[in-house]
Amino acid sequence: MKIVGIVGSNADFSYNRLLLNFIAKKFDKLIDVEVLDIADVPMFNQSNDQTNSDVIQNLNKKILAADGVIIATPEYNHSIPSALQSVLEWLSFKIHPLDGKPVMIVGASYDVQGSSRSQLHLRQILDAPGVNAVVMPGNEFLLGEVHKAFDQERNLKDKETTQFLETCIKKFIRFINVVNVMHSPEGMKDLSSTEDLYATGSIDTTIKDINMLDDDWVEQAAEKTNAADGNTYVKLNRGILTVDQINYFLDSMPAELTFADSNNQFLYYNYKYEAEDMLAARRPEQVGNPLAECHPERAYSSVAWVIQQLRTGKEDVVRTHVPTHGPDKFVVHSYQAVRDDDGNYLGINEYVRDIKPIIDWYLEQTGQQLTGGGVDAVSGATSKVDSVSGATVKDN
Amino acid sequence: MKNLIGIVGTNSDNSTNRQLLQFIQKHFSGKANIEVCEIKDLPGFNKPKDREAPVEVQKLSDKIEEADGVIISTPEYNHSVPAALKSTLEWLSYTTQPLIDKAVMITGASYGRLGSSRSQAHLRQMLDAPELKARIMPSSEFLLGFSLQAFEENGDLKDKSKIEELEGIFDDFIQFVDITNQLVNAKSTHKKQAQQFSWEDH
Ligand SMILES: Cc1cc2nc3c(=O)[nH]c(=O)nc-3n(C[C@H](O)[C@H](O)[C@H](O)COP(=O)(O)O)c2cc1C
Ligand SMILES: Cc1cc2nc3c(=O)[nH]c(=O)nc-3n(C[C@H](O)[C@H](O)[C@H](O)COP(=O)(O)O)c2cc1C
Repeated sequence: MKIVGIVGSNADFSYNRLLLNFIAKKFDKLIDVEVLDIADVPMFNQSNDQTNSDVIQNLNKKILAADGVIIATPEYNHSIPSALQSVLEWLSFKIHPLDGKPVMIVGASYDVQGSSRSQLHLRQILDAPGVNAVVMPGNEFLLGEVHKAFDQERNLKDKETTQFLETCIKKFIRFINVVNVMHSPEGMKDLSSTEDLYATGSIDTTIKDINMLDDDWVEQAAEKTNAADGNTYVKLNRGILTVDQINYFLDSMPAELTFADSNNQFLYYNYKYEAEDMLAARRPEQVGNPLAECHPERAYSSVAWVIQQLRTGKEDVVRTHVPTHGPDKFVVHSYQAVRDDDGNYLGINEYVRDIKPIIDWYLEQTGQQLTGGGVDAVSGATSKVDSVSGATVKDN
Repeated sequence: MKNLIGIVGTNSDNSTNRQLLQFIQKHFSGKANIEVCEIKDLPGFNKPKDREAPVEVQKLSDKIEEADGVIISTPEYNHSVPAALKSTLEWLSYTTQPLIDKAVMITGASYGRLGSSRSQAHLRQMLDAPELKARIMPSSEFLLGFSLQAFEENGDLKDKSKIEELEGIFDDFIQFVDITNQLVNAKSTHKKQAQQFSWEDH
């Protein structure tokens, strides 16, 4: 997620800038923050329109392209500083980049009140019709007594404060999703917000403190957990195999296998072919990513829908057939719920395969034929296969 | 007769708030000398290390210091006080602090129906901050809505009832200036406290 952070102070040294830089650094696993300064923005003047100046156009473009905006405001005389006010005036005069944009407010100030009053003013300002931002309610992050708040490395000293900030950031990610749903065309049901596709939560098995987006997530996670490998034996239900044997066994499966856990983190695939040779492309460096990073944004709603079917127990498997590989392949993606002995949802086993060789083989063996032509033949075949499998059950 | 100054709360060339102050100046010329002051030439506030007031700020500050009372007329930008006026108050609070214990009356004009009610509320809260500490006249709000249509060619307010309302508030203000300036004792300690106050070392 791309986030723009606006430093609400034009001072050479600003605690609010420190705070945004800290957010950018600390939560880089969750969000991609670009911190923007406002010191070069001229004082707003209705009679001297400078909307087209580079500084203002730059802010405009960056904000338009961002998924959300975090504004860090100091408190000057119980309100927001004129420098920030001026920026918001430019951004509500001839152009309106904040219109409908999800915004989160944070603030650092000298007083123990930590910019509480200026944050309230800022909310009202962002709510004015010319600005019309969508400000996240609640989750007020006030950093009081700033001069004591940061250590030498410019990290927040207080653990609890950092934790609260993390909660706020995670809520903001969800808030952005909700706002996107709100803004989707009427009648279109966007379900992306029903699932935390950015894997911002964590479950018992989540390997913490490693950047999910790192290319070598697997290596880092293996080191962190002291993961078994090679010819170490692993006890299974039911049997004993070495890690190598498990690997080769899974590689020999006639399908592309993928495991994503219930936190929507992509943890494993049976890496045998390079992406271009796969039916559903995966790359080794993607392992560890949240599912949102593995799909284009337009697919979020359907991905969330599938997971919901499995998580809530409505379905044990959801299948889709993907005709884009041409008539010589019958590619089926199956999303199979992985559950523990008590039926709790643990994640997805996605297996992708071309079922045509099996169908061809079966038809040949049994002397049966596919009826119809064109695309319908495929669905015709599917129903035939269904009746065939019914027969198989009977035989058993 | 009282000496007052009126501060135009905008840097815009055309301003109905400026028109309002000019009307007040003319209409009450029998009751007070009112000088209308501009903020449009002040530089933007940027927290200079030396805490020195630039020349233009110093000039405005001296006028405030000398005046018996101050009228601030504020536009409303995005439900708040325009950046230009905020910047002016930042300069004054950060450098010379002439508004401490100064009697202040707030007026405002806006194009819409509400007549700057929201920016006036913000302005009150700002003037109450420890480095400004103005004495704002309580329970008085002069809101001029639909301000683009509010004035005659000659600059007079069209609406007679609005003029009466303004007269009432202005008379109160003259008395308020007297009362405020009589609180000499409280004032001197107050001022000392505020001048010693700094956000950055408490
Ligand atoms: C003109 C001015 C007014 C201030 N008013 C307040 C205030 O009302 N409340 C407050 O907590 N701090 C106030 N401060 C102190 C700021 O909190 C402090 O300068 C802070 O560092 C500003 O944030 P920054 O470091 O990001 O610029 C004021 C500072 C200045 C320069
Ligand atoms: C950036 C911008 C924001 C504005 N926001 C408001 C507003 O929130 N409420 C309002 O009544 N008028 C708003 N206006 C319109 C007028 O500028 C405003 O009514 C003002 O008080 C008129 O005062 P003036 O004639 O002294 O400039 C806005 C204008 C600009 C340029």
